Amino acid sequence: MDHKSTVLRGQTLSQVLSLQHLTIHKGGERLLQIHTEVPAQSVLTIMGPSGCGKTTLLNAISGQLSAPFVMQGDICINGRSVVAIPPHKRKVGIMFQDALLFEHMSVKENIAFAIPPERYRSKKAQSIAIDRLLENVSLSGFGDRSIDALSGGQQARISLLRTLAAEPDVVLLDEPFSKLDASLRAQIRQWTFDEIKRRDIPAVLVTHDKEDAQAADGEVIEIMPC
Amino acid sequence: MFTRLTVFTRLLLFLLLLMPVSVGFIGVIFPSFGYFPALDRHDFSFDIFKKLFAVDGLGRMVWLSLFTGIGSTLLATLCTFLLLAACYKSSFLNKVQAMLSPLLVLPHAATAIALLFVLSPSGLFARLIGSITSTTIPSANAAFFPYDDWGISVLCALVLKEVPFILLMALSVMAQPSNVRKLAGYQRVGVSLGYNEKSTFFKLMLPSIYAQIRLPILAVLVFATSNVEIPLILAANNPGTLSTAILHWFNHVDLSMRLLGSAASILQVFVCVFAILFFITIERGVALWGRNRLHAGKRNFFERSIAFLGTSVLAVYAVLIAMVVYVVVMYSFATYWPFPHLLPQGFTLLHWQTALSAIDEPFWNAVALAFATSTSSVVFVLLTLESEVLAPAKQKVARLFSLSLFLPLLVPGVAFLYGLVWFQQLLSTHALGFHTYIAHMVYVVPYVYLSLAVSYRRFEPRYAYVAQSLGKSPFQVFWHIKLPMLTNAVCVSWALGMAISFSQYLPTLLASGGAIPTVTTEAVASVSGSSERLTAVYAILQGVMPFMGFVIAWTLPAMIRFARTRKRNRFSQKVMRYGP
Repeated sequence: MDHKSTVLRGQTLSQVLSLQHLTIHKGGERLLQIHTEVPAQSVLTIMGPSGCGKTTLLNAISGQLSAPFVMQGDICINGRSVVAIPPHKRKVGIMFQDALLFEHMSVKENIAFAIPPERYRSKKAQSIAIDRLLENVSLSGFGDRSIDALSGGQQARISLLRTLAAEPDVVLLDEPFSKLDASLRAQIRQWTFDEIKRRDIPAVLVTHDKEDAQAADGEVIEIMPC
Repeated sequence: MFTRLTVFTRLLLFLLLLMPVSVGFIGVIFPSFGYFPALDRHDFSFDIFKKLFAVDGLGRMVWLSLFTGIGSTLLATLCTFLLLAACYKSSFLNKVQAMLSPLLVLPHAATAIALLFVLSPSGLFARLIGSITSTTIPSANAAFFPYDDWGISVLCALVLKEVPFILLMALSVMAQPSNVRKLAGYQRVGVSLGYNEKSTFFKLMLPSIYAQIRLPILAVLVFATSNVEIPLILAANNPGTLSTAILHWFNHVDLSMRLLGSAASILQVFVCVFAILFFITIERGVALWGRNRLHAGKRNFFERSIAFLGTSVLAVYAVLIAMVVYVVVMYSFATYWPFPHLLPQGFTLLHWQTALSAIDEPFWNAVALAFATSTSSVVFVLLTLESEVLAPAKQKVARLFSLSLFLPLLVPGVAFLYGLVWFQQLLSTHALGFHTYIAHMVYVVPYVYLSLAVSYRRFEPRYAYVAQSLGKSPFQVFWHIKLPMLTNAVCVSWALGMAISFSQYLPTLLASGGAIPTVTTEAVASVSGSSERLTAVYAILQGVMPFMGFVIAWTLPAMIRFARTRKRNRFSQKVMRYGP
């Protein structure tokens, strides 16, 4: 199905997200304009007051832009324009400030849902792989728990596992740490950025928090209210 | 692919709502101007209308329709607002909602029958008075109820049915997330400015709520003005309301009376339009008066009397419901029950046996029809709602669609159903089941849509974004994420659809030509025919059937969850056994 993209991924070693003269209009008014490139392993941080269009920018990248927003310019992942590709085929993972785990599924099912089809030879192999993933984030044995039995921090970790399990080419982070309490925040943030580095993919982070931006350690773009 | 299917379904649903009403309307316009090939009438003229206006008592029929329709809607709206004002702040509201909800799904016919049992000259009310004052002649309300010349009894039955509907509409509007915040804010501001709770409600919150429930109220108004089964059961028959006259003319042995019926159907539409205009005039008047009162700045707004009136509305309902349940159940088991005793002399299962043996076919007809219409409505509506997400229509088209939803509710049934049946008969005289299905769909789809749309639009869209970002196609998102998360809402809408289908009297009777009897058609027929005891059994069945639908809707999600966990556990045990 995704034959083309696998070939492309085979050719290049690392992923690049480039936003080329990307302009977003709301109605007839220009909301924002951005032109930049995010190399693999780095995090682009977008800051600015609420209502300035930060989330709208992420929607444009993930393909969820809807009326009255209109976009111009180009979005390329790994040299290939994704503007015409439907959201579910873009391989762009999103994380929000809420974990948004599916409550009708167990922890394991949430992650299994994200894994691309036929990645593992059997259901058993997949299950073992998920157990390993959970072990890595010190949540081993949580696989069969239901979502509402988890704490906020646990949910955040599983949410990230789920996002990464889909093997995205780009990860978008929409204030994913803002609801976590201070002690947990730094820890999960560090772990998230480490994972992104380890996976060799670019990420875009939207945040209000200066500390987030510092920890991201990449380009920071401030959007001014129009 | 899936997106295209949803868009196609939206179009199909649009046609399903639009076609029967417009075709049906055309089907009464032609005969009303004298064109009716089946009776060898080919000339257009105003003769039929002339004949109609010469009908004895026509003015009175129109007056009765208007009086009962507008009167009941005004009264019901007022009662609802009093009720809301009296208890919108207390947790009592949930109980009120729980108490009135069953009345919402109780068919109109059953409500009228129940009222008949309580308030008729030999009813429970008269028995109570009779046994207290020991008057043996049941004269307590003989002149007043039922079959009174003024239509008061019809009006009462309509109010009884309308209050729960308007209340639930208002509550669902008040429960919308955007409104919850706004209304809570208004309330805080109002109170901090020194307005009391009731005046805050009427002066600040109500205008915003009313604007959003206006269309449903107008639909109630049209329905009340053109309803058939309640006047059929409760109104004096000579003359009754215009709608019952139409029914009689259409069912007359002399087929040429159908032309008169068609013309009267057109008149019925005008009556409804007039009712709407009249209602809007009153609404404007009240709004103007209210705005003037706003400037007056009075902080106290009949605090006590509103609390008292609101509570009395509730008390009347509580007493009536208790009396209805008591008298209907008693009657269904009673042997000899002389006036004015409060208990029958003996109990028997005979009526139940008689009724159940006779009801077999109507029961399964009703269940099959309701199941088919409600299930397909839910499927169509789900796909249509999904199409609004996947391929949003242009604003104008979307507005046209939502108008088409209300079309069957705003055009009186008696006005288009006959025309629809006429066309259906032209197409095929054998597909009675299908014709009846279509006639039910016209009424079931709007309610299923209205109830599902609320939860569908409240669905957190980011769940869908997340699933899509995990590489899932629109269909997978719909099937694996949205449907499981909306199971409760889908089941409740399904049960509501069942209830609406169960309660249909006129569409069933007309589209099937009487060949597909249901519990509701039998119940209405039994009022004028067989014994009161059988009627009581039918009324109970009418109440129980929609209730069973809701029982299924409440238990099904839990069962699905249970099955899901069990499957999950079995799987994880297997993994543990073979695991590393």
